[in-house]
Amino acid sequence: MFDREPNIDIVFRNGLKNMEVLPPADVWDNIPPMPVRPSRFRIITGIAAGVAALVSLTLLATWYIRSNTIGNTQTELILAGGELQAVTIDGNATLADAPLAEESARVIIMQAAPPQARALANEAVLSMPAEEPLPLLASADMPPSEEKNDESVTLSPDDITIITSGRLPGVEEGLKTVLTPGSGVTAGQRFMVGASVSPAMGLSPGGQDIRLSELMNSEKSRPSYSTGLTFGYKISNRLTIQSGIGLASIGQTISGVDVFAGLSGFYAVKSSYLYSVETAAGLILAGNTDLYLADSKDRVGTLIQGNAADPSKYQLTQVGDDIRQVFRYLELPLVLRYKVIDSKVGLNLSGGVAYGFLVDNMAYTGEGSDMITVGHTEGINPHNLSSQLGLGMEYNISKKISFNLEPVFRYYMTPLSDISGPLYKPYSVGVFSGFFFKF
Amino acid sequence: MHKEKDIISGCLSGSRRDQELLYRRYAPRLYAVCLQYAGNTEEARDVLQEGFIKIFENLSRFSHEGSFEGWMRRIIVNTALERYRNRYYLTRVDDIDDVTEPEADPENNDFAGLAAFDLLNMIMELPPKYRMVFNLYAIEGYSHKEIGEMVGISEGTSKSNLSRAREILQKKVMILTGVTRRLVNV
Repeated sequence: MFDREPNIDIVFRNGLKNMEVLPPADVWDNIPPMPVRPSRFRIITGIAAGVAALVSLTLLATWYIRSNTIGNTQTELILAGGELQAVTIDGNATLADAPLAEESARVIIMQAAPPQARALANEAVLSMPAEEPLPLLASADMPPSEEKNDESVTLSPDDITIITSGRLPGVEEGLKTVLTPGSGVTAGQRFMVGASVSPAMGLSPGGQDIRLSELMNSEKSRPSYSTGLTFGYKISNRLTIQSGIGLASIGQTISGVDVFAGLSGFYAVKSSYLYSVETAAGLILAGNTDLYLADSKDRVGTLIQGNAADPSKYQLTQVGDDIRQVFRYLELPLVLRYKVIDSKVGLNLSGGVAYGFLVDNMAYTGEGSDMITVGHTEGINPHNLSSQLGLGMEYNISKKISFNLEPVFRYYMTPLSDISGPLYKPYSVGVFSGFFFKF
Repeated sequence: MHKEKDIISGCLSGSRRDQELLYRRYAPRLYAVCLQYAGNTEEARDVLQEGFIKIFENLSRFSHEGSFEGWMRRIIVNTALERYRNRYYLTRVDDIDDVTEPEADPENNDFAGLAAFDLLNMIMELPPKYRMVFNLYAIEGYSHKEIGEMVGISEGTSKSNLSRAREILQKKVMILTGVTRRLVNV
């Protein structure tokens, strides 16, 4: 046999090394988009958005349950012979089942507001005309009222039912007089309209994406804001549903990109843009072809090929060293607002969503009169959905006018851009403030 | 020019643009590997498509410590191997335990002028079982023991398949180049 052979293995190994064959063109089309595993940040913000939605639903459910259980379990204050007694009526019993003497007055009060009710009842007792003693109907003890307040107590007519019988003709009227709310909301003030502004500081998630993190190292969120008209409807004393129309603006500054003007004097343009800048929000296409863009971080791309031109050698004028991206959305919010504390200075909890339509997508450099449009950002989603959660103060300036000041956390549930991927979902922390007129 | 690391992180963030960039950059080289293992363009195309789906699905597991291309190549080879195992019933041949390995002669470059495409065609024309073992042993550098475990054959079968594959390839090379003396002692 042969003691040596040409090593066929090496011939093939070396021969095929680095060999390339173009695959059929349609293979790529049959490869589905890569599944994205959610980062820890997305999970946390997702939970926050979920909590916001849950809070809203809980508030709505609470209101619904409360509005359907009034009368099932109630405290009955019985005015008899100028004395006040209390008795609890079972949930399934009707008012007719409750013992009632011929000469007495009953004030049926929800259990949710017993302190005020007691105070009011005492007021009623005091205002009752002196009559001959009436028999007691129940022996339950009524604790002494400490919340008695001669000035004002907030209770709506929905919360209190007055039933009279017997020989106490002046009682109901007297009670009604006493029960007239001081600063509370009357049944007529169910609607509200107002103007609001929410300055905010935008923040952007980096997550585990290395490239996004690198890009965002040289990007700084610009102060964002949203303004608009808000309309509200008071579902109950504590719960209000709000909607309206607003304009929201978010943006960022990309630093380290030098912008020079005057390129069109040296280079004949054949395309709709010459330069692009990679950003976390998407690719800026510089439609202003008079501009030459340069940076040292491998973010700027150009369509100028090879030796076709070298703008760095031209006499150009620097007009900026950063680029600002601005996106404006026309927004339709839907917010539920719950009064946690209902008084002159109240505390509100709010949660809701807003659907936005992109109305402006601009990239520029310079400020004021020196502002020069660079172009636009490619691939920005024309719609977005954001959720918000807020906890803040409501100051009732008068019966009809209130002022709100409310820190709000806002999270964009849909990605800002299709191109940069689903991880780039900005969020913001701002202060919702506005005046509301109730009618 | 986009950096490999940037493309990978772009893919991980879900950027379709970066996924396409990665595909365009590496698909030609990996398609050549697919052809080596598949034997025909239809099968190679399926291996490439299936392989890239696996690459994207497992991209987060790439540790950035070794060669990225090598990592992708292993996925492609495993994909081809999986399809091969499912498709072909391996006919056992007599085990040959005493096959002597030819001595490597790196300086023997008489066939270096062969076009890569000719070499690829020769491999593609091999019967599947020979092609698989030859690729795994001669090109990828696996041992017979490893090949046996990967393909589901004995070590001896792997050796005999390799021996037969080499024999066939040598004949083809000689015919193509017209060099007959290489078949005898040099």
